[in-house]
Amino acid sequence: MKALVVLGAVLLASGCASTVQPWERDVLARPEMSLDADPLDATIDDHIYFSKEASSGGRGFGGGGCGCN
Amino acid sequence: MCEKDSLSATLAAATCALLGTAIVAPVSASETDRWSFDSSLLYYGESDDRVQDVSAAIAAKRAFDDERYLNLTLTADTLTGASASGATALDRPQTFTSPSGKKTYTTPAGEIPLDDTFLDTRFALNVGWTQPLARLYTFSAGLSFSTEYDYTHLGANLGLSRDFNKRNTTLAAGIAWSQDDIDPEGGAPVPLSQMLDVGNNANKRGTDSKDVLDLLLGVTQVLGRNTVVRVNYSYSDSSGYLTDPFKTLSVVDPVTGDTIARTAAPGLTGPNGVYRYESRPDSRVKQSLYAEVKHAFGAPVLYSSLRFMTDDWGIDSETAEVRLRWPIGAASYVEPQLRYYTQSEADFYRASLVNGQALPQYASADFRLGNFDAITAGLKFGHHTAGGNEWSTRVEYYMQSGDVPDNQIIGNQARREQFPDLNAVIVQFNYRFGL
Repeated sequence: MKALVVLGAVLLASGCASTVQPWERDVLARPEMSLDADPLDATIDDHIYFSKEASSGGRGFGGGGCGCN
Repeated sequence: MCEKDSLSATLAAATCALLGTAIVAPVSASETDRWSFDSSLLYYGESDDRVQDVSAAIAAKRAFDDERYLNLTLTADTLTGASASGATALDRPQTFTSPSGKKTYTTPAGEIPLDDTFLDTRFALNVGWTQPLARLYTFSAGLSFSTEYDYTHLGANLGLSRDFNKRNTTLAAGIAWSQDDIDPEGGAPVPLSQMLDVGNNANKRGTDSKDVLDLLLGVTQVLGRNTVVRVNYSYSDSSGYLTDPFKTLSVVDPVTGDTIARTAAPGLTGPNGVYRYESRPDSRVKQSLYAEVKHAFGAPVLYSSLRFMTDDWGIDSETAEVRLRWPIGAASYVEPQLRYYTQSEADFYRASLVNGQALPQYASADFRLGNFDAITAGLKFGHHTAGGNEWSTRVEYYMQSGDVPDNQIIGNQARREQFPDLNAVIVQFNYRFGL
């Protein structure tokens, strides 16, 4: 249920979004604004939490490939 | 703001951005015929001499013409230390046969048993290729391989995304498949079989394997000049040997809750209590919904995410994460990070098995399938060098604390520690550079 609420909120927000023109992407083009700005940090975090918790993935494909879980 | 003002502001901002970041821009992966690298060294250390991990990783990215990229990531891990076996604490020392079946280890009275015989080195290689397909499509493909002393992983993935709405909206779909083979020293134990004396492998069988199929659907949406959001739905179907061959359960008295005593056969060494190896279902379906947002408040950038996961083992989890990247001067930044995680226990989670009762089909006392919360608090500091490279360091503290359902605590177990807290320090150093 919570998941549906989040999904609904995001879709609602995206529907309200105004179109950003290509020449208005100065902020979005900053490296730290990339959703994959720190891929190695993300990989390390996924590996640690996959080893210690029962959940994995979400951001991309689930962690795995180790005998730690 | 009128259009003219907006255009002026945009040009001004773009000019400032170009001038301001000319010196400190990180290694650009968009330049063709260039290699860029992202490397890290990680220390992960749990308190009480539990798991220690030292890991080194290097990710190389090669940019080609027409926005085509090759990604290679190589990781090496060395794990040592002790890990909770699943057996309950007891008022007397407990002796266990090690997972290899070749020796014993003993846990002092009053302590939660930790298997300290584990030591592993892991190497992992990921190869990925990304390229445009037509004007608005991007295609990606990847292979993953990892190997440990007793474990081998092989996986492949494909992804396709399409941009819409002047690239303000991106829809993405991906599929991944992997096969993992497990070959524990001495063989994987028969689920729910009893732990035997050293040298007796009657309860062991050969190698085993599992397959995992992952599907992912995602949408990325630009919400404004300063905000971007992404939502992913993931479906993961695992089948095969999903049991942990190193985890056990104590078989306890129905009144006292103490582990049933056992004596090794004459001339042999072995466990001094009755313990059984865990048993998990041979399939698992997980579904998750993940949402993340990045928003720039001027120079600072806020990242926050939520994830909801549910599976057919009865585990539900929620994860929330927030990071705030705050510039310090023109070339440095500091980034506080906070993560909260909570999960419910699996349907077949059992603190122990009761002597005299029929064995359940599935049972596990693995704390990772139990009911717990976890908090990670950390701080990252990064600096761009004059040469265009970047180094950063991150320190985090991970705290996990959980409990056993009251209706599973029997007799004397109530006055002993049931669910050990887990505290770990994570220290990471990164260096990004280009050639």
